[in-house]
Amino acid sequence: MKTKFWFLFAMSAIVPASDAFAKLNVIATVTDLRAIVAEVGGEFVSVESIAKGTQDPHYIEAKPSFMLKLNRADLVVAIGLDLEIGWLPSVVRGARNPRINPGQPGFLEVGPLVNPVDVLTGKVTRAEGDVHPFGNPHVTLDPLRAGEIAVKIAERLGQLDPGHASDYAKNAHTLKSRLEAQTKIWKTRIDQSGVKKVVSYHKTLTYFFQRFQIENPAILEPKPGIPPTSGHILEVIQLIRTQRIPLILVENYFDPTVTKKVRDELPAVRSQTVAVAVDGAPGVVKIDDLYEHLVKAIEGK
Amino acid sequence: MSLHRNLLVLLAIIPLTAIAESPPTDGVATDTKPRVKGLNPDVSANFLGLIQHGTGFSNNRTAPPYNGLSIQESEIQFTSDVDPYLRASALFAFGQESGTTEFTAGMEEIYFETIALPSITFRAGKFKLSLGKHNQLHAHGFPFIDAPLTHRALLGDEGLNETAISAAALLPFSWYSEIILQGYSPSNETLFLGAAPDVGSRNSGDFGGLVRLKNLFDLNDDLTLEIGASGTRGQNQFGFRSQVYGGDLTFKWRPSEGGKYHALVFSSEYLNGRRPGSKDSAGDETEKLGGVATWVQYQFSQRWWIQWRNERFGLPRSPAIAAQNKQSGLIGFFPSEFSGFRFQYDYLKTLGAAGSDHTFALQYNVSIGAHPAHTY
Repeated sequence: MKTKFWFLFAMSAIVPASDAFAKLNVIATVTDLRAIVAEVGGEFVSVESIAKGTQDPHYIEAKPSFMLKLNRADLVVAIGLDLEIGWLPSVVRGARNPRINPGQPGFLEVGPLVNPVDVLTGKVTRAEGDVHPFGNPHVTLDPLRAGEIAVKIAERLGQLDPGHASDYAKNAHTLKSRLEAQTKIWKTRIDQSGVKKVVSYHKTLTYFFQRFQIENPAILEPKPGIPPTSGHILEVIQLIRTQRIPLILVENYFDPTVTKKVRDELPAVRSQTVAVAVDGAPGVVKIDDLYEHLVKAIEGK
Repeated sequence: MSLHRNLLVLLAIIPLTAIAESPPTDGVATDTKPRVKGLNPDVSANFLGLIQHGTGFSNNRTAPPYNGLSIQESEIQFTSDVDPYLRASALFAFGQESGTTEFTAGMEEIYFETIALPSITFRAGKFKLSLGKHNQLHAHGFPFIDAPLTHRALLGDEGLNETAISAAALLPFSWYSEIILQGYSPSNETLFLGAAPDVGSRNSGDFGGLVRLKNLFDLNDDLTLEIGASGTRGQNQFGFRSQVYGGDLTFKWRPSEGGKYHALVFSSEYLNGRRPGSKDSAGDETEKLGGVATWVQYQFSQRWWIQWRNERFGLPRSPAIAAQNKQSGLIGFFPSEFSGFRFQYDYLKTLGAAGSDHTFALQYNVSIGAHPAHTY
C-alpha cells in the first residue's frame, strides 16, 4: 500500500506531456514576442514568456525554473542584440535541450532581422555605459517592425511544423496588415496631439518615436544603465525649458520619482509612467494594446 | 619562472583580444564584427583588490592575507563553443603565493562540456566540484569578501577544485530537480593530504566520488526556494576515506514590479567532514570538522546592497575543535555590472581564547571584456 502511494506520488510529479505532443511549445523571452507568437501560432502553438511586462528585460535572473521551461521547448524566440545577454545564455545552457541551442532551428533571434538602429561603429567602450554594439534592442516598440517580426516568426514556425506553415503565414500577414493600417491612425492621432518632442528615462522608445516622428532630445539616464544624477537632471531641465518639451515618459520598470525635481521646476511639463511591454499595465494584453497605450499617453488621455 | 610564464600567457591573450575588439574599417555597420568575434573565445578579466586591517592578520607581506594593500586575486577567462557538440572554458588565476611577494599563474579551471545531449551535461577537466553552493563560486562571486570558516577549514582557500568528470541530469519532475554525479582525483591538500602534504601516498589511482541533489521551487513569481544536499568521499594520504556532506537552503526574493531596486537573499549552508587518520587535538584518530554559515543580503536601491553573515564553526560541538563564532557586516556599492566596492567588518570569537579579532576590509572588484552571463 505504502509502495503504491509513493509510486503514484512520483508519477504525479512527472510532467504530463500529452498536450506537448499536440502543440509546438514556444518560449519567448519577453511579453511582446509572446503576444506576437500567440497571434501567429494560434491554436497550434502554446507560448509563455520569461520576462514579465513589468520587468526590465536586460536584468532578468537566470532562474532554474526557466531552464526547465526551455528544456521542454521546441522553439525559443528572443530579441537578441545583447538584450538578454546577461541571463539567456545561462538559461539555454542549463536547459540541456540541443534543439534550442543558438544556431539550431529551435532558436530564433528577431532583432537582427528587422534592421536595428543605433548600431555602433568605431571604437565601442563601456565608458559609454551599458551599450548595445549591435543596435538598440527595443525593436518591438515599432508596430511596423512588429509586423515584420510576425512574418519571421511564422517562417520559423512553418519550418518546425510544416503542416501548419500556411496557417502561420496567414496569421502573420493578418497581424502585419492590421498593424500597418493601425499605424496610420496612430500617426494621425499623434500629429493631432501636437507633441513633437518627448523626454524618456532610457532609450527604450527609440523605435516608437522614430516611427511617429517624435524627437527624443534628452534621456534621464546620463548613460545607458547609469541612474540619473542631480547634475544631469539639471541639464535635462534646462533642455526641456529651451526646447519647450511638453512630456516626459518613464518606462514602467524605472523609478518614476526621478521626475519629481523636473516637475517641481517645470510644473507645466507632463510626466507619465508608461508600459513598454505587453502586460506592463492593466489592459495591455495584445501587441496593439501596447501601441494604443503609448499613443494615449502622448495624447494625455 | 612564474613571471615568464605569466608574460607568455598574456602575450597569447593580447592578439585574440585585439581581433575581437577590432572596429569595422568603414563607418557602416556590417556583419564583419559579429563573425570575427564568433570565431574567437569570449575573453574576460577580473581582479579583486583589498585594503584591510585585522587584529588577526600580520604585517608580513609574504603571508597573505596581511594588513594593508593587496591584490586578492586576478583571473582571465576564455569561453567558447568548440564545435556543435562541445563547449569549453579555461580560467587562469594569478595569486600571491605564501612565503613570497611574487604572483604565480595557476590553472583554476579548464574543462569541456557537452551541449548537444538532451537533459544531461557531461563535463571533464579541472573545475570546482558541486559540493554545496559556495564551493562552486569563484572569489569574485563570493557573497562576502572571504569564504565561510567551515569551507576554509575543510576544503582550504581554493575549495574543492579537482581534476574530475561530471554528469549533471535534469530529473523529469514538475519542479527543477537536478542530480550531479562527479568522480575525481582527490588532490585537495586540506581534505585529502592533511597537514603534511609530502607524507603518504599520492596514488593517482585513488578516486573520489561526489553526489549532489539540487531542487528549486518557485513559491510565487517573486520568491524561490532552493534546497540542496551533497556528499563526497575520497581516499586520503593515510589510505582512509575522507568525507564531507552538507546541506544548503536559499530563499531569493525579487519582486516583478520594482525588482531593479529591491531584492532579498537568505542563504544557509552546513558542511560536516571527517578525515580518518588525521589525529585531532584530543588524540582521536579521525578529525571531525563541521559548521554552518547563514547570511542575508538586501538590495535597497539600484546600486546598493547591505548584508549580514553569522557563522558557527565547530558543529557538532567537539572538545577537539577550537569552536569559533563569526559575525560579518557588509555594505556594497556597484556602479555598474562590471565594478563593485564592498566594505566588510568581521568579528571573530574563538571559544576558550582570550579576546576576539576584528577585521575591516575594503574590496574592489573589476571586470573587463565579455559580458558575463549570470548564474542564479
